Amino acid sequence: MADVVDKVEPVVSVRDLRTYFIHKAEEVRAVDGIDLDVYRGQIVCIVGESGSGKSMTALSLMRLVPKPRGKIVSGKIMFHGVDIMQLSEAEMTKLRGNEISMIFQEPMTALNPVLTIGDQIAEVLVHHRRVGKRETTAKAVEMLQFVGVPRAEQVLREYPHQLSGGMRQRVMIAMAMICEPKVLIADEPTTALDVTIQTQVLQLMRKMRDDFGTSIILITHDLGVVADMADQVIVMYAGQVVESANADALFEEPLHPYTIALLKSVPTIDQETEVLYYIPGSVPDATEFPTGCRFADRCPLAMASCFETAPEVREVRPGHLVRCHLVD
Amino acid sequence: MAEVLLEVEGLKKYFPIQSGLLRRTVGHVKAVDDVSFQLNYGETLGIVGESGCGKSTTGRMLMRVMEPTAGRIVFDGQDLTKLRGKQLKAVRRNFQMVFQDPYASLNPRMSIQDIISEPLVVNGIVTAKQSEPIVVQLLETVGLRARDRFRYPHEFSGGQRQRIGIARALSLHPKLIVADEAVSALDVSIQAQILNLMVSLKSEFNLSYIFISHNLAVVKHISDRIAVMYLGHIVELATKDEFYNHPLHPYSEALLSSVLTPSRKVRRERIILTGDVPNPANPPRGCPFHTRCPKVMQECRVTRPVLRDIRAGHSIACHLHA
Amino acid sequence: MIAYIIRRLLGMIPMLFAITVFVFLMMHLAPGNAIEAMINPRIKDIAALKQQLEIQNGLNLPLPLQYWHWLINVLHGNFGWSFGQHEEVTQLLGPAMYNTLILAVLSEILILLIGIPVGILQARSPYGKFDYTVSTASFVLFSVPYYVFAIFLIYLFAIHWHVFPAQNSVGTGPLAGTFVDHIWHAMLPAISIALTNNTVYSRYTRGSMLDVARQDYVRTARAKGIPERVVYSKHVFRNARIPIVTQLGFDLGGLLGGAVIIEGLFSYQGMGYLTITAVSQRDYPVIMATTLIFAVCVLLGNLVADILTAVVDPRVRYN
Ligand SMILES: Nc1ncnc2c1ncn2[C@@H]1O[C@H](COP(=O)(O)OP(=O)(O)OP(=O)(O)O)[C@@H](O)[C@H]1O
Ligand SMILES: Nc1ncnc2c1ncn2[C@@H]1O[C@H](COP(=O)(O)OP(=O)(O)O)[C@@H](O)[C@H]1O
Ligand code: SF4
Ligand code: SF4
Ligand SMILES: [Mg+2]
Ligand SMILES: [Mg+2]
Repeated sequence: MADVVDKVEPVVSVRDLRTYFIHKAEEVRAVDGIDLDVYRGQIVCIVGESGSGKSMTALSLMRLVPKPRGKIVSGKIMFHGVDIMQLSEAEMTKLRGNEISMIFQEPMTALNPVLTIGDQIAEVLVHHRRVGKRETTAKAVEMLQFVGVPRAEQVLREYPHQLSGGMRQRVMIAMAMICEPKVLIADEPTTALDVTIQTQVLQLMRKMRDDFGTSIILITHDLGVVADMADQVIVMYAGQVVESANADALFEEPLHPYTIALLKSVPTIDQETEVLYYIPGSVPDATEFPTGCRFADRCPLAMASCFETAPEVREVRPGHLVRCHLVD
Repeated sequence: MAEVLLEVEGLKKYFPIQSGLLRRTVGHVKAVDDVSFQLNYGETLGIVGESGCGKSTTGRMLMRVMEPTAGRIVFDGQDLTKLRGKQLKAVRRNFQMVFQDPYASLNPRMSIQDIISEPLVVNGIVTAKQSEPIVVQLLETVGLRARDRFRYPHEFSGGQRQRIGIARALSLHPKLIVADEAVSALDVSIQAQILNLMVSLKSEFNLSYIFISHNLAVVKHISDRIAVMYLGHIVELATKDEFYNHPLHPYSEALLSSVLTPSRKVRRERIILTGDVPNPANPPRGCPFHTRCPKVMQECRVTRPVLRDIRAGHSIACHLHA
Repeated sequence: MIAYIIRRLLGMIPMLFAITVFVFLMMHLAPGNAIEAMINPRIKDIAALKQQLEIQNGLNLPLPLQYWHWLINVLHGNFGWSFGQHEEVTQLLGPAMYNTLILAVLSEILILLIGIPVGILQARSPYGKFDYTVSTASFVLFSVPYYVFAIFLIYLFAIHWHVFPAQNSVGTGPLAGTFVDHIWHAMLPAISIALTNNTVYSRYTRGSMLDVARQDYVRTARAKGIPERVVYSKHVFRNARIPIVTQLGFDLGGLLGGAVIIEGLFSYQGMGYLTITAVSQRDYPVIMATTLIFAVCVLLGNLVADILTAVVDPRVRYN
């Protein structure tokens, strides 16, 4: 799998991305200084609990942060050497769905209920490639077959409510991949699906990467999915990256107390435990983060200094980044 | 020999499908089709299966909030399907339900005090005033603070709301709690808190659980026995160890092989099923799983295998093990 | 779809039956007897004449029988004789229904052309200048009773500028009685109806558009690189129009039944006007006819609303 990854120059490179929701005096710091590199053919998993800023990171990359409150307040998002923060809205529109695509968590609500599947797939081609109707249909059928939708021709004429959740997610993938984008951002693509269907969809995404060399940013809260799919892992907590490493290294030796705790609290079918390990308390409120480490009040290893100064990200080993005073 | 708390026999729920000029019933969604099992005192039965296989419908019938199309539900020696009105109300306090969505299942306009004391007051056990100390105690039992009773649901996080839901379910000292995807909407760190709470409450209150979930790892953690459902049928019913160590039904094997573990070392051989779960309005003839089964045989397309004991504490419905 | 329409039409029968019973009883129990209203109070032998007229009109028969006779007649399109206007009721209904139809359709067209587009524009930049201006204006318009507008419109368009006639549904002169003439006369009442309704429809459209704009599939459309203009005209509008189209159907039913106050104000000879005239003359056969037709229009409006909904919403269509 690693031979697909081409580590020369990142396809996507994000530096110090900050996305806030600003309303009156309140400031929700959804994404608070994220760095991210994605190489060709790489699967990068972003993992974290709900509210940690995963979806907002993804939407920021597409420059689709919900208006008017959401705003990318700073940061650089380089795509193939171009800073997309500097692009006009029209140029951005040309990029979306064409060079960078995105699929979402809820296949039930992510498709337009009053348009046929065919219409929704075809419009991507119509807007990004000037192709005729017949060619569009042929390509749509081919793509649906590729993602494993049976009776593809018929499905083109059907509406979303006539399809199952798994089918809809395949349609979403077909739609996202029809222009053969360089980057696919998948925000919890299998969270709403059954396990046997999740297996199918993950397998399909791997095939996309292998066949097209697509880079995939896979967002999930499920560490099982991360272990299964990732080349590179980014662990987020309260809007920040707390640990970032190669997948093998991260699962072999997680270094951040949060990552360790998260891994320990997942029940698995391979081990027997009387009492599950758990992280006490809950994620801090994004409107008022503590001055020290954001994980301090839940961290089993917290020291006095943790409550006073915020830790910086440090490269502990080559390519293994950790934000914690313990590794300073 | 353990005592039987609940015995379910031939439970069915068919939802009519209506169509045509006169809205005639043209068929049925067989949401639950001939389900039988027993639950002992103090035992936890996990029910697993994919979306739409009939887990929640089974749970609702057990709670008597949904009328079964056929079948018997014997709870503590009484056939619930025969009880009506007052008698039903009297036994009802012995079983309670905890739901998936900690956001939707609590009335946003009621204080926590009112939410938790509601079952007590409605059942005429105590007055609203007298319920205060009971509510305080329940809140402490589920790990919340006494003063939380004056607050409203929106002031709590998902995990805390689930604790409130559990406190409400406990208020009547039930013998059985049906938890329908009770931890599915929660983050792993919070999920672990709630699972631990449920395990400790079980021994403290001598509870029995029916724990419905699609997450096989969670179910393994909490259950004594496992029932696997597919298209309204139980296809495998076994003790936890039997099920996780020697799954016998091809569907169970596929389910277990699909479970992802947060480790790069454990790599299971994955069985990738083709296609989707068939429409329960139009289930396949013969074995309900035959359209996706990697081990399908000629016989499977014709006759439906019945659930039968293979060995002590392990039954499956499959022609491979007839 | 056809099966659905037939089923709905059949489903209307019991409802219609109930309405006829209701209308019949209501009129029968109403104060003042129709016969009395017909008789010249100066006639000497009132009692005898009354009895004679009652027998003539079948009013001495038992109630169910009277109802039965009336119903059979109605089913044959015979609504009886108008005591007030000395004509077959059916003869009066024809032109009145025609005029009201023109008024209703014209009003709906104005709503489609103004209220809905305004709402769409408002939703494109909510809380912007345009939205704010329109919202304020709507609020003012909405809080003024609509007959006040009608009077204002009459003053402005009819008396001051002489563009549209203020009265009647047909004019004099070379164009008299033509379709154009009818439209001409329907203009002011239609504008009056549309003005008030437009405020409702623009608000409704705005709300519906904003609701839909928040949906996941709109985000999907943007993520696909669909230009914003198309996102709105295709993805948002096609969903937002569903409740609006339904409402238009309902309102059409009401409008077809006749706009009593507006028609009265403009002396526009439609169903509403016919009703007021009949009420003032205690002309029971006419009142019964217009009430019945109004009820039927409302029922048909509901049906139209449901059919339109099914046309624009595949989820309903495939059910
Ligand atoms: N009120 C109802 N009317 C008609 N069909 C219903 C009704 N409730 C459930 N069903 C159908 O019955 C079947 C079983 O539904 P049920 O809710 O029990 O599934 P489940 O196993 O709990 O699924 P999930 O994991 O998604 O919660 C499904 O096909 C469902 O569509
Ligand atoms: N539309 C919004 N308005 C205000 N805050 C928001 C909005 N969407 C998300 N947030 C906040 O941003 C933070 C990160 O959210 P999100 O990226 O969706 O988290 P995740 O995807 O990791 O669950 C959370 O604190 C959330 O409450
Ligand atoms: S900095 Fe301190 S509190 Fe934060 S994770 Fe490290 S040890 Fe824990
Ligand atoms: S009965 Fe046949 S089809 Fe069904 S599970 Fe067994 S082998 Fe597969
Ligand atoms: Mg998210
Ligand atoms: Mg369910």
